[in-house]
Amino acid sequence: MRIDPNNVPQILADMQQSQVSLNTALQQVSTGKRVTQPSDDPYASAAMVQNTIETGDVDQYTQNASTVLSNIQSADSALSSVVSSLTQAVSLGTEGANGANSTANLQAIATQVQGLLTSVVGQANTSVAGSYLFGGTSTATPYTADPSSPTGYTYNGNNDVNSVAIGDSTSVQVNLPGSQIFSNSSNNVLASLSNLVTALQSGNSTDIGNATTAVSSAISYIGQQRVVYGSAESQVNAQETFLQQDTVTLASQQNNLIGVDEATAAVNLSQAETDNSAALAAAAKVLPNSLLNFLSAPS
Amino acid sequence: MGGLNTSLLIGMQALDASQGALDATSNNIANANTAGYTREVPQFSENEENLSGGVVTGGGVTLDGLQSVRDELLNLQIQQQTSLQSGADTESTSLQQIQSFFSASSGNDISTQLTAFSSSLAQLSATPTSTSAQQSVLSSGQDLANAFNSTASGLASAQSDADGQVTQTVAQINTLTQQIAQLNGQVSQLTSAGQDGGTTEDQRDELVQQLSALTGVSITQSSDGETITTGNGTPLVVGSQSFSLQTTTGSNGFQQVLDSNGNNITSSIQGGQLGGAIQVRDTTIPGFMSSLNTLATQFATSFNAAQAKGFDSNGNAGQAFFSVPANSANAAAGISVALTNPSQIAISSDGSSGSNGNVANLSAALTNDLPSGDTPANAYANLVFQVGSAASNASTQSTAIGQNLQQLQTQQGSVSAVSVDEETTNLLRYQTAYDAAARIVNTIQQLNTVTLDLGSSESF
Repeated sequence: MRIDPNNVPQILADMQQSQVSLNTALQQVSTGKRVTQPSDDPYASAAMVQNTIETGDVDQYTQNASTVLSNIQSADSALSSVVSSLTQAVSLGTEGANGANSTANLQAIATQVQGLLTSVVGQANTSVAGSYLFGGTSTATPYTADPSSPTGYTYNGNNDVNSVAIGDSTSVQVNLPGSQIFSNSSNNVLASLSNLVTALQSGNSTDIGNATTAVSSAISYIGQQRVVYGSAESQVNAQETFLQQDTVTLASQQNNLIGVDEATAAVNLSQAETDNSAALAAAAKVLPNSLLNFLSAPS
Repeated sequence: MGGLNTSLLIGMQALDASQGALDATSNNIANANTAGYTREVPQFSENEENLSGGVVTGGGVTLDGLQSVRDELLNLQIQQQTSLQSGADTESTSLQQIQSFFSASSGNDISTQLTAFSSSLAQLSATPTSTSAQQSVLSSGQDLANAFNSTASGLASAQSDADGQVTQTVAQINTLTQQIAQLNGQVSQLTSAGQDGGTTEDQRDELVQQLSALTGVSITQSSDGETITTGNGTPLVVGSQSFSLQTTTGSNGFQQVLDSNGNNITSSIQGGQLGGAIQVRDTTIPGFMSSLNTLATQFATSFNAAQAKGFDSNGNAGQAFFSVPANSANAAAGISVALTNPSQIAISSDGSSGSNGNVANLSAALTNDLPSGDTPANAYANLVFQVGSAASNASTQSTAIGQNLQQLQTQQGSVSAVSVDEETTNLLRYQTAYDAAARIVNTIQQLNTVTLDLGSSESF
């Protein structure tokens, strides 16, 4: 049987094929990626869309968690200062209620308690990065002096709370409005202090005693409210751990989808180099072969 | 019994025959690398024997002609496979161009911008009053709209490239069919005169080969040469007559292919560059475009609905974030951000400027199912999968047909291709034959001299 005498197309195709394999292997080694365009692996490319979005979100949630954590810690430490002010007010009130104080003394104590009230209001107006921690969702300064108010201060914020996303379906409450913590109708912290001031100024021991008890119960009320921040903090901490794991999971998923195993890629490259050399060597041997090489030139 | 002259005549015929065979060999060697050339072999036949005085002697040799060695069936198979491959190649080239717009490495694709948009919303959740966080949502929203626009324009430009290819290819087809019809006439004249088609047939087959790369054709042999039609039977060449295809702008703004009677045959054209370009232009790209438009419309609607649930930084009800053209066919190309100021983002759920209550709704618009049943990310991922697998299929198909084609060409080569080694051998063979024939003439000449000089004293 006659065979195709023209082996050039076949040789060219072989060389081209081995060149393609070489280029692919080289690209995989140099980029570390198996998939650089959708047709390389349509399924992996599609799955990467979701992976990329989740990775971006997880990065942002991690940042959110740290922002939230610092807000919560600031709020908690503000409340802790408030508690120590109140504790101080209780001891001053107890001292004022013992009936052994001169009017001048009581006035001095009243001034001290008034100072504590100012300090508590200062804590209630704490702001972080321009937003008030206890103003609800309002951007107005929560408490401003108001002589017409019984406490001497009026609340300008609102009763709303913000929740910040720290996961696809996880959000954490980051604030308590001042109207709930400091000027609640049933447990008004500011009013308890200002009542104590009034009682001290009036000098009535019974009133001072009652007002001091009210401040004590305000301390335990603040303590209850701090639980909200405590649980938010532990929620954020737990979420941070989850986000760290999720980052690792997503990165490993990404590597599985479009990454290339370096050892395999290196072996493939070296295999492709060998194949390419073999194809070239074969071409070099076969191409110049012809009967003419073996015929002596006509004399 | 013949005389010396008979021998001389036989020698001369042998010289002529060898001369013709040497011509064939040298022509084969000369055309060893000519595309479409089919090797020719000399056809010798014995002459009628001479009967003289009861003795029969041979009558020498005649060169009947040169015969091209070709296999028509293989040619047909090669033409079919060429059509298929060239169609797959055309689709593959176009899809390679298209898929770059869906590749995440471009950095300006919808997936990357969707990620940035989603992150910017998550950031806004933590810092709702930060102007830079608001600005970042607005600009990443604009980037996302731009990514939709550029993907849509990428598809549209690939579609218009394919449309341009239709016009060009039809023009090339018409040029080729005219040439083929002319050669077809010449070949049928030769064959009806009992001669081999030879190089004319080679040329015609080569042109038919080129034609089949342009569009799928069906070829039948008839008494007046080949009849070439498109796959659905529209005649292109019948005998020595060619029928031109025409193009005209259709209602969709693209070039439609008409047969010589003005019938629209666009949808029935398959294979070849023309079939591939029409497939990409009328089926593949519109499919992607429609998915993209659906996604753009549904995403914008869903995000605008989330925006409407809240209040902007000035306490006004949220207005539409994205604006999409009313005609959904232009949704992806025309989607844009309607807001002009970051303060218009509906962050607040209660109207106060510090609230982030509506951000959760905005973020949810990115993760909730659209009316299509998929989240925006999944709907886009489906599209990426479709584009990727179409590109991968077209290139796999092209490779597979390519291998098949190469095998057929090897078979054809084994029948028709010129082997230089074989021709070198033939050269030696015919050289020897020519030498020997020349020796006959020389010998007869000497014998004639001897005969004429009989009795001459000067001889010997």
